Amino acid sequence: MAQGEIIAGFLAPHPPHLVYGENPPQNEPKSQGGWEPLRWAYERARAALDTLKPDVLLVHSPHWITSVGHHFLGVRHLSGRSVDPIFPNLFRYEFALDVDVELAEACAAAGREAGLVTKLMRNPNFRVDYGTITTLHMIRPQWDIPIVGISANNTPYYLNTKEGLKEMDLLGRATREAIARTGRRAVLLASNTLSHWHFHEEPSIPEDMSKEHPQNMQGYQWDMRMIELMRKGRMREVFKLLPQFIEEAFAEVKSGAFTWMHAAMNYPELGAELFGYGTVIGTGNAVMEWDLRAAGLSLLEPPAAHRAERPGQNG
Amino acid sequence: MPGLGRLAAAMQRAGRALRSSRPDAILVYSTQWLAVLEQQWLTRRRSVGLHVDENWYEFGELPYDIHADTDLGQACVSHSLKVGVHARAVDYDGFPIDSGTIAAASLLGIGGPEFPLVVGSNNLYHDAGTTLRLGSMAAACAHEQGKRVAVVGVGGMSGTLFRTDMDLRADRLATADDDKWNHRVLRLMESGDIAELKRVLPDFAREARADMGFKHFYWILGALEGRFMGARVHGYGPLYGSGGAVVELTL
Repeated sequence: MAQGEIIAGFLAPHPPHLVYGENPPQNEPKSQGGWEPLRWAYERARAALDTLKPDVLLVHSPHWITSVGHHFLGVRHLSGRSVDPIFPNLFRYEFALDVDVELAEACAAAGREAGLVTKLMRNPNFRVDYGTITTLHMIRPQWDIPIVGISANNTPYYLNTKEGLKEMDLLGRATREAIARTGRRAVLLASNTLSHWHFHEEPSIPEDMSKEHPQNMQGYQWDMRMIELMRKGRMREVFKLLPQFIEEAFAEVKSGAFTWMHAAMNYPELGAELFGYGTVIGTGNAVMEWDLRAAGLSLLEPPAAHRAERPGQNG
Repeated sequence: MPGLGRLAAAMQRAGRALRSSRPDAILVYSTQWLAVLEQQWLTRRRSVGLHVDENWYEFGELPYDIHADTDLGQACVSHSLKVGVHARAVDYDGFPIDSGTIAAASLLGIGGPEFPLVVGSNNLYHDAGTTLRLGSMAAACAHEQGKRVAVVGVGGMSGTLFRTDMDLRADRLATADDDKWNHRVLRLMESGDIAELKRVLPDFAREARADMGFKHFYWILGALEGRFMGARVHGYGPLYGSGGAVVELTL
């Protein structure tokens, strides 16, 4: 078995507006464009992903909300129509995707060993949420790489941010362990917006960019502060500030994807590439990459059992 | 699952009572239809599909075939602004109608062509007062159209769920305090003591973590213009630790 690798992690937000603006054949509503700087940011992210050639994409989505445990898609092929319940006028998407079930099972098992409640979603008629689909479409519209879809357990909202993010940390560590056990070359996708203050009404033409701007100054300033720290690789500071950022900017990273991803990457003090930033209905969205392979940080320690089996490793 | 079976049977009894009143349409509000922009109203004449819950998918699929009173639904869209709420119509193939609406329609035996629905979303930014005004506005729209309506609020009572896997046969209320709160609120409904009910509901919402602030009850209260005589509790029991009750308010 190959040695497991987490090649890179992307902050990959999921406003359905980006799919709507692009007009792919899978999406029924058609637009006059819009949100170009963010869509061009994703073009750069797509090119970066193309060079990485991963075996699998893992995505943690805040729009698959689960109350009992952390769930993983566990059906080899899923397809259907996913309509966004908030923006049904923008996103009615015919999806078809393949799941790396072996890795999903390994993630669920490692999560249980870490003390988490985990579940595998085995219903073939399951409708995949628009957050998962939007992030995956924007990063890899070819849909030719298997995925692992992970739910957002609602602990950060049901209990509190601290308890919730502690669980997401464990989930990330378990994900890392599972990737090591299965020998996958994986890319992680944190499907999160930054500041999440949003307008409560949509313009009559949703893609009218003359109406698009940050919902408030504080949210924008917080986004810039956090992005700047991420670009400089000052991730310890980012995580120290995260609870305050969540509180003051209503940041969607509260739902856990960002913490999950960085825990899985072992919290590298590594500068991120910012592909672009833009607002969508007032929320702040950044497309960013932490390239672990380029930094020499991608290879994972073989799991304990394998280390013991390898000759010469025990003595 | 005897407990769940009893609640399902209670829903069916309540559905028989509802249907026997021969309403022209049924005004439904479900806490599980979450909205964050405008108030959404289901205006698709017929919605057909197979629903899988995002949490409880292992229990299988819920087929649905829901008819809407589109004239009344459209009136609710256009009149929402009168109560200070921006609204939009939802008329899309494949729109993910929530589990609460689908389960209620199925168990109550409503939503067919004989008993069409008007369904409103739960906007997370709306408070109890706004929800009450929306219920009142929907009933007024029905009155304007000369329609007799029934009103249904879909949601739970105490809201604490168990967070770990459990055998549903061992389901119970998460805490004794939640159980007490639920009984207290149900007794007030039965006695028709609306003033006291209104007084305690904010405490109930906070202390028992009532499902979405118990906004589904305010929807009903708004549609009934704040009046009912008493209530018949068809069933009460735990739903994975939270409280579930099937209540028919008597007018």
